[in-house]
Amino acid sequence: MTVGMINANPVVHERPERAAHPHAADALDPLDVFDTVRDIKDPEHPYSLEQLSVLSQESVSVDEKLGRIQITFTPTVQHCSLATVIGLCLRLKLMQNYPPHFKVDIKVAPGSLANEESGVYTDKFLRLISKK
Amino acid sequence: MARVPPVEWVPHVEAYVDVSRPAAQHSASVDALAALVNKDKLTLFDLVSKMDMYLTTTDHIVRSRGILLLGEILSRISFKCLDVNTITTLSDFFISRLSDWQAIRGALVGCLALLHRKQGVGCIVIADVKRLVESFLQNVPVQSLAAADRKLCFEILSCILDRYPEAVKQMDGEQLYGICEAIDEEKDPECLMLSFHVVEVVMKLFPDPSGLAAQFAGDVFEILSKYFPVYFTHGVGNGLDATREDLSRALMHAFCSTQYFEPFVIPLLLDKLASSLPLAKIDSLKYLDNCIRFYGADRMVRHASAVWYKLKEVIFNLSSDQLLISEALNCLKTAIMYTDSSDKDLFINLILLDEDIVNKIRSVSSVEKSILSSLEDLAQLHALGSVISILAESSTYFCTRVLQEHFAHLVDIVGTKADYESRQLNNCNGSSSAPVNYGALYLSVQLLSSCREVALVSYKDCSSVKLAKESWWLILEKKLEQLIHLLRSFITIASRSMQPMLRQEYVSCAVKGLLTLATFPEQCSPLPANAYEDILLMFTSIIISKFENVDLWRLSLKALTSIGSSIAEFHDSEREVVYYRTVVDKIVSLVESYDTSMPLSLRLEASYEIGTAGLNYMLRVAKSLEVAVVTNISESEANGRMECAEHVAHLFECYSSRVLPWLLTSGGVNELALSFALRLLDETKDLTVLDRMSSQGLLDSLMTGMKLLVGVCTEEQQSLIVQKAYCIISSMFSLPLKLMTDRLLAVDELVPSHSVPETALISMFSSIIVGLRPQTPVPDMMVTINLLSVFLLNGKMPAAYALASIFNKYLHNPEFSHENQLDKILDDILERCFLTVLANSCSKISHSSAGTSDDVNFSDVFSGNKLSKINILSSLAWIGKGLLMRGDEKVKDISMFLLKILCSDEILASIPSHQEEPYGGHSSDTSLTICVASAFHVMMSDSEMCLNKKFHARIKPLYKQRFFSILMPIFLSKIKETTAVTTKLALYRAFGHIISNAPVPAVITEAHQILLVMVDSLAKLSFDIEDKDLVYSLLLVFSGMLMDEKGKECILDNIQITISVLTELVSYPHLMVVRETALQCLVAFSTLPHSKIYPMRRKVVQAAIKALDDKKRAVRQVAVRCRQTWISSCLRWDLWIICQVPDV
Repeated sequence: MTVGMINANPVVHERPERAAHPHAADALDPLDVFDTVRDIKDPEHPYSLEQLSVLSQESVSVDEKLGRIQITFTPTVQHCSLATVIGLCLRLKLMQNYPPHFKVDIKVAPGSLANEESGVYTDKFLRLISKK
Repeated sequence: MARVPPVEWVPHVEAYVDVSRPAAQHSASVDALAALVNKDKLTLFDLVSKMDMYLTTTDHIVRSRGILLLGEILSRISFKCLDVNTITTLSDFFISRLSDWQAIRGALVGCLALLHRKQGVGCIVIADVKRLVESFLQNVPVQSLAAADRKLCFEILSCILDRYPEAVKQMDGEQLYGICEAIDEEKDPECLMLSFHVVEVVMKLFPDPSGLAAQFAGDVFEILSKYFPVYFTHGVGNGLDATREDLSRALMHAFCSTQYFEPFVIPLLLDKLASSLPLAKIDSLKYLDNCIRFYGADRMVRHASAVWYKLKEVIFNLSSDQLLISEALNCLKTAIMYTDSSDKDLFINLILLDEDIVNKIRSVSSVEKSILSSLEDLAQLHALGSVISILAESSTYFCTRVLQEHFAHLVDIVGTKADYESRQLNNCNGSSSAPVNYGALYLSVQLLSSCREVALVSYKDCSSVKLAKESWWLILEKKLEQLIHLLRSFITIASRSMQPMLRQEYVSCAVKGLLTLATFPEQCSPLPANAYEDILLMFTSIIISKFENVDLWRLSLKALTSIGSSIAEFHDSEREVVYYRTVVDKIVSLVESYDTSMPLSLRLEASYEIGTAGLNYMLRVAKSLEVAVVTNISESEANGRMECAEHVAHLFECYSSRVLPWLLTSGGVNELALSFALRLLDETKDLTVLDRMSSQGLLDSLMTGMKLLVGVCTEEQQSLIVQKAYCIISSMFSLPLKLMTDRLLAVDELVPSHSVPETALISMFSSIIVGLRPQTPVPDMMVTINLLSVFLLNGKMPAAYALASIFNKYLHNPEFSHENQLDKILDDILERCFLTVLANSCSKISHSSAGTSDDVNFSDVFSGNKLSKINILSSLAWIGKGLLMRGDEKVKDISMFLLKILCSDEILASIPSHQEEPYGGHSSDTSLTICVASAFHVMMSDSEMCLNKKFHARIKPLYKQRFFSILMPIFLSKIKETTAVTTKLALYRAFGHIISNAPVPAVITEAHQILLVMVDSLAKLSFDIEDKDLVYSLLLVFSGMLMDEKGKECILDNIQITISVLTELVSYPHLMVVRETALQCLVAFSTLPHSKIYPMRRKVVQAAIKALDDKKRAVRQVAVRCRQTWISSCLRWDLWIICQVPDV
């Protein structure tokens, strides 16, 4: 068990100002999904995932017809052991906000987790998160 | 007067002196004692002799309470007459007590009370005031007292200074010094307000140059100067009365109290002007402005150059904000106005010949700087323009000097005549010419408007200006022609290739220039008459032909309006004629023309705006709107234009919503509406016109217009209109009018002979009646009613509106002789309507009441005529509304009848029907019940069409509430005893309309009775798409109930059923807002007691999950919120979540 923070000094980005939902159409779109998850707090810091650039609007894709939501997030450091927690947070939030028939895929951006540990993490990660 | 024995009042004294008692008791004791003294039940002598011990004891606390008590009582008997002895004794006492610092509060209160006493009820003598001042200044260490005591001290001082100035007239330096000492270092805002006032009054007391003020000005100012600029951080809501503005103003008055402050104040203010604090700058400018006014020219002359340099810094500083600059310009204006020294050219030399200003003007006029390159340049230019024009407009002499110096040169830079001509040539060739110097243009226009300001001040004797050897007038006249040419050429600049932003600046500048020229007062206008007309013509032609250039069009319109108002302002009759001929006539005639190239909305706007320039013009606009409407009616066929109805609707809209209100506020309506209405009636005389009107859809807009016109007329005018209409009807109608006076005509005598034009005529007549005032007599009331009722029975709605208005306004009106007849005929009409509606049912069931009245076979007339039956039902509703609004009992008959129709469905349903045909997707009977239900909607809701304030309806307060509480028990019992589904649905619908239109508080008080019915209605009505609006309004009433404490209780008792209905409504397919509101209601439920809502959680959460997939985003968002609140408010939900999480 590591004592202390994994990433003690994260880069914090400013949250861009945006009016309420800019799209007139009422269909579910990536922006809707992003709006629900952008304010999740990082497990280590009092900043939101958006502020830490773990998530961005482009990292969400939605297919309403097939009922799929896919989120790809980028941990702040390569050796982040809290990626699983972030993944779980995302999953819970999406479960609360979207009907159960949606298939939710949560992925880590390729190459953002350290390679040498990828064996360990990816297995556990896959088991934990990409099950459904 | 009976005295109260000491036993009764002495306890009050003891209570007050006892410090351990609560404050409320203290003030109660003082009040009681003061009341006794005021009523003469207790003499001051008795009081003082009993209090002797308290006033003289060596115990400081008790003594101070005792003295305070006496002081407080004294301040509460300020209207009671006291003799000289008492006053003197009291004065002696309190003045001597001023030296008793432990008990100072009481002494201060007492002294203040004595000083405040009015002449006539016994007041303190001057000698005593003098002693008081001496003792006060000697004994009271103001600054070492508490804030409240200090406040008393300052109140005493300011009271003495305000009311007994002669007592301090002989004040010596030492005493003044004492006052200064009292004020020095004061920090409490309220005390400061008083102390600033004290300084102000003291300084004003000694105006002569050898007086105290002159001697001590420096010392006093040293104390005051610490407070400038007033810096005050207290918020608004802290209970203090004084604000920063108040304090700042008080200090300013103190600064301006004596001119001996001048050597100290002006340097301080000028110094603070350079401060980095914006607040200090603004304050300095305000103070400076005031001080310049007060100190006078003699003293200010020596500061003139310093003031100018400092102001220049502020004005030309790029970082100054707009407020600061305008404040500085104000100050400059004051300085120029008030500082008239012996040297006339003081400010000319200072400002006009200032090196900076000269350089700036030179740089503006140089060719390289001709086009504005940045916003900074623009700001600098504006500042320069303002400074120069302030200088120029302050006097005729300055104006002449400034114009001499710069005007000719600037105009030449803008362009010479040759330039202008060659530019035109270039323009024709399509090539752009050399850029025009905007700076020079701006400055020339600025100077022009300064000239106008000067002219405005002195236009009464401007002959001297014209005759003078050198004056601004001559300079202006010399360059005038050139300038006009130039300005006119810039207005057409639009065609040239130039940046749009810049073009805008040029054009607005040029328009402003021409506007200024045209609004000179005529006596001293440099503009010859033909040039004036040319300018007007040019603007008018822009309005008429260049409407695609929106900016220019609006600018020109505004300019024309301002020119028009300036004519009215100077009562300039000659120009008015010209203006009327060249502008008003041409623009207003646009409204009448058929030219479709210019949008109607623009034509109307132009006419209205020009009209606002003066009453005469607006009357002309109104007239031409009238002409336009009339010609549209009479010639529409000739032109074959089908959009005519819309056109007329627009005209009426402009007339009634803009022109009429304007005329009403400026008092010019008088005969206007009357003549318009009469003219409309004239048009409708012609049968072919009537025919066309209804075929082209014109009728509706004409009816609306007519109602509005009649509505604004006075009673006499209205009676003229209605008389005329009645004459037309009686002369044109084929009906035997005379026969109709006695009794209601049988329907078959008239039906079905009504042709289209007759119906149209009756519709117009009806709209006249709708607009009448209750005092206006209707000609031949009985015949009119008869006639209308015939049309009503034929299913013509306008007749119903008219009858409803008549019954609303004239029933039981003692001013009319036929009040009883009216009652009877109302019964008659209702009866007839009832029978007609029932007639169709007669063929199905044998109705006992069918044979009671006339022996007419209704079923022949009306069989199959569902539409007219429905119309009669809604006519009944309108008449019912009229009666309901005036609070007439007969409305019960109508509502009971309607209820009967609703319930008759049940009987009908049991009989096999053989002639049912589909009507509007429903069977005929369903459509009938829907119509009956909406009749209740008509009765309860407000209408724009008729029966409102605009049309002078009689409206009894709370009529909706009353109707609701009368009908509620009836409906509840009917609903209870009905078994058939369709009938129940119909009853729900009708009751739903009543509930949703009744005031919500009234509904909530009956919540326990109607909640279940409401919930059931929501459930049952949610199947039919037709009822979606009703469902929504019921849901809104329900949510109102949910917000109310009493309503909540009631809902809690029925929570099971309520929540299950709401969860159904969450997936209501027909209306998004219903789903959203249902979810919001469910969110609100989560705040109810936990034990009650817990059993419902699964149902609600499932509904919310379903709504997560809603088509609309707004619903999805509320669904998430609903789900979250329910999950988090039910603690055991955690378990459920764990079960739902996929196998971790």
